[in-house]
Amino acid sequence: MTGDETQDGDASVGVGTMRGRAPDAVLRAAFPGDAYAAWLKAYRRLAGAGYGGDVAEAYERQAPDVARLSSTDVAIDLAASVSNMAIRSGSRAASQLPAATVVAAKRLTASGALRRWLRLIEQVTLQAPESMVPILERTDYLLARLDLAGLESWLRIGVRTAVGDAARRLRFFTLEDPEAQRWLQRESGEVGFLDLEGRLKPFLSALWGISPPLREVPAGAPENARRRPGFDDGVVRMPASFPGFVAADSEKLYRAAVAHVGAHHRFTRKKFKLGGLRPAQVALVSLVEDARVDWLAMRELPGLARLYLPFHVAQANGPNTAPSLFARLSRALIDPAYEDDNGWIDKARKAFFADSDALSDQQLSRRIGDLLGNDLGQMRVQFDAKGYIVQPPYRDDNLGLWDFGDDDQQQAVEAEQIVESVRIRTEVGEGGEPQRDDADDLDEAAGRASLVEPEMDGMLAGRYPEYDYVTGRERREWTTVREYTPRRGSTEALLRLRDERADLVNRLSALIRSARVSRTERLRRQPEGEFLDLDACIDAAIARRIGEPPSPRVHGRYERRHRDLSVLLLLDTSQSTAEKVRGSGRSVLDIERQAATLLAHAMSELGDPFAIAAFCSDRREDVRYTRVKDFGLPADLTTYAHLAGLESAFSTRLGAAIRHAGASLARRLSYRRLLLVVTDGEPFDIDVEDRLYLVEDARNAVQGLNRMGIDTFCVGLDSTADSSLGRIFGRRNTLSINSVDRLVDLLPRLYLKITA
Amino acid sequence: MHDRSGAALDSRAQQDLALDPFRIAGEPYYRPVAHEVALFEAAHRSRMPVMLKGPTGCGKTRFVEHMAWKLGRPLITVSCHEDMTASDLVGRYLLDAVGTVWHDGPLTLAVRSGAICYLDEIVEARQDTTVVIHSLTDDRRILPLEKKNEVLKAHPDFHLVISYNPGYQSVLKDLKESTKQRFGAIAFSYPVAAIEAEIVAAEARVDRRTAATLVNIGARSRNLKGHGLEEGASTRMLINAGLLVGNGIALAEACDVALVLPITDDPDIRDALRAAIAACV
Repeated sequence: MTGDETQDGDASVGVGTMRGRAPDAVLRAAFPGDAYAAWLKAYRRLAGAGYGGDVAEAYERQAPDVARLSSTDVAIDLAASVSNMAIRSGSRAASQLPAATVVAAKRLTASGALRRWLRLIEQVTLQAPESMVPILERTDYLLARLDLAGLESWLRIGVRTAVGDAARRLRFFTLEDPEAQRWLQRESGEVGFLDLEGRLKPFLSALWGISPPLREVPAGAPENARRRPGFDDGVVRMPASFPGFVAADSEKLYRAAVAHVGAHHRFTRKKFKLGGLRPAQVALVSLVEDARVDWLAMRELPGLARLYLPFHVAQANGPNTAPSLFARLSRALIDPAYEDDNGWIDKARKAFFADSDALSDQQLSRRIGDLLGNDLGQMRVQFDAKGYIVQPPYRDDNLGLWDFGDDDQQQAVEAEQIVESVRIRTEVGEGGEPQRDDADDLDEAAGRASLVEPEMDGMLAGRYPEYDYVTGRERREWTTVREYTPRRGSTEALLRLRDERADLVNRLSALIRSARVSRTERLRRQPEGEFLDLDACIDAAIARRIGEPPSPRVHGRYERRHRDLSVLLLLDTSQSTAEKVRGSGRSVLDIERQAATLLAHAMSELGDPFAIAAFCSDRREDVRYTRVKDFGLPADLTTYAHLAGLESAFSTRLGAAIRHAGASLARRLSYRRLLLVVTDGEPFDIDVEDRLYLVEDARNAVQGLNRMGIDTFCVGLDSTADSSLGRIFGRRNTLSINSVDRLVDLLPRLYLKITA
Repeated sequence: MHDRSGAALDSRAQQDLALDPFRIAGEPYYRPVAHEVALFEAAHRSRMPVMLKGPTGCGKTRFVEHMAWKLGRPLITVSCHEDMTASDLVGRYLLDAVGTVWHDGPLTLAVRSGAICYLDEIVEARQDTTVVIHSLTDDRRILPLEKKNEVLKAHPDFHLVISYNPGYQSVLKDLKESTKQRFGAIAFSYPVAAIEAEIVAAEARVDRRTAATLVNIGARSRNLKGHGLEEGASTRMLINAGLLVGNGIALAEACDVALVLPITDDPDIRDALRAAIAACV
């Protein structure tokens, strides 16, 4: 670099390496007086270091801007930072730093802020050198959302969550990791769906009396699905966040979105047939339908207008392009005060408001939408279906309004699968932790332990006698119970059930609360206590007058009863449980596991120790027993995964299963022990001819348990087996349900009742 | 009032005097929703025990008061609770200066003198307490006072009415089957919107529009039953909110005081309720 150039233009500047460099005049203007020499020195040192690429050029190009926006000192010191960056992170990051500094300087105008930013970047360079390129590339994006403190904590979180794994760090800082987005959202003070979920659900229920599961749109979903709410087949999807809205607005936006989706639930009675509609028509029919349901909703709930209208911000003077026209149309159809002299919008408005009674007819949307779509074509307005995003943001993506026919149903299924796979992945992260511990154990035990795993399946757990009613004797060690390790299944359906039956779960929780705070009992005629027992006092006084010695037991007191109870729930998983229940697509086993899910939830809230096991049998040598959940373990995702993994197979050798379950209950030291059996029929196994044989054996097994002080109770899911179940468990301890569906509802209640 | 004559007059007069506080002077406001008035009158004619079923604050107690007034009978109300014993209902010996004196309990008073006895929230009482009404609720119509060694024959005008809220707690607290089967039942629920608005307007003395809005709010809160609330806002709550509005409080704040704050402590549910209320106004 020569110091005497004063002319403008590149022509006088050295060629090649100096491509795009700043004219000297600019530099002199930016670094007046002594600063120029200092800058030149810094630049020369950088240029001479030989970092390659265009590190030095980039610095030279941007330095004047940095000097202007911040100060010459910062601009000069930047050279050292760039140099550092080149050493730690490579020349690519280093050549980006000057430009990023200019961007940062525009954002960080407070005094000293840019310096602090540079220092922060230097620190992060030490900890995450591989990630500097993506971080610097996103300078504007990040600083638009975060202040300096927010940026600092976000960067630190990124470094920390990756725990030294460079690839993970890179995923975080390129924002591929959904965690990165979430933390960014949190640091930026944006309010996301997860922050509001707890309030949005009851809001939706309150407004419209419906409680579909609300789900966050998975991070892997396409862009337009991520940015707008949506609904389909009873599930409502909400964007993870609405970027660019401050917290208070975000909350309102979510509220409006929920209210709008609820309005669709109420007023969009049938899905529109896609037919041969063009994309623009589909969009317009949806738009009019959105306006229609909002109108009907506001008629019922006038306060919604205050929620909706502020988000309609389209201005009448916008260009006549499809996005602008659509946004204005949305506003024109909902905001009576809005004025727009566009003929197309005016026509739509007139048609829409022509007859207020017609608003309740869904076909209105179809008619107006078709009409407007044709006009739009004649106006030669281009509609970009791919890039179209519904405005304003509280409106849904409209996918739930249309019946796409079979092909697209397939897509819907696939979309659901995407959602599921995302969920499962996260579940492995949560529920899989104990497994990881196991893996550690295996490592320690080096190889030897790995042999244990396969042996676990079908491991001999005990031999039990069987009772032969004909001879009146027990056949010793006649049956062999083997324990099988539970398989893990997808918990999606069960967790969804918990969401869908939220009302039941809540009611149960309320019940449990009242049951757990065990009722106080008033004990009368006590020798001491906290109050006088009036009746006893009177008796005593009478006795004294008569001249008899009065009883001193004139007090009363309150006492709490304690729950001390262990429960084992034993599920029948024989082949017959695979049968579908009439009127629903689910099998008996499905319903058993759903009931068990809710019961597990109830019992874990009660704090009663409980276990869940499942059984089936393949002849007397192989009574299969699966521990779904043991005493002392929490009812968590693993429990649900095990429940989901149960499969229907083989027969029902009830007696042996009861004895085995009884053996594990007998080890419990609780005051009360209860075995709760759920079965769909009478006992049966393929190596037994006599129908009565296994019934009598099971009866004998139950009696054996009763002798040990273990209570038994049976829920029969098939009315035909009534008599035999009554015979086995006693009529008082048997309940048969005709409609299997009711089990889900009934089992937890039943449990509370028999344990109360 | 019944004809009275001769020697019976004295004891009759005494009984009537004892019942005076239980007579209902003015007409209690009640807006019939369906046939409940006719049904009750029919049941009363044959003195069939009546069970009023329905959620809290939907007008069961007001209905009984109204019917007692309409039929010109005194009404003896007992609010049942967990610690209530049979002697709390029937009566007991107390001591005075000279010796023991029998004091009739509220049920005995009603049986003896021919009042309507209203056992409010009967499930709250323990099951062994409620069996004392069994002999009164079949064709015997007697009340054995075992301590007094007396069998009291029910006065011809005696009529037993109980209320029963089949809420969530009915799993743990329920009437015995043998108790339930002695009653005819009239079901109550929150009235349809138009009638409920009429009731709120009349009771709280607010205009119809405010009343309609309050009822709309009530419907929203009832949507939350089972989803965070154990019960939605009762008609009584809506009337309370209306009373506050009538006293110059803004509607949203009145609902906050009379409805949102009493009904739940869960911040999320409160928030959702407030938002729903805002949507109704």
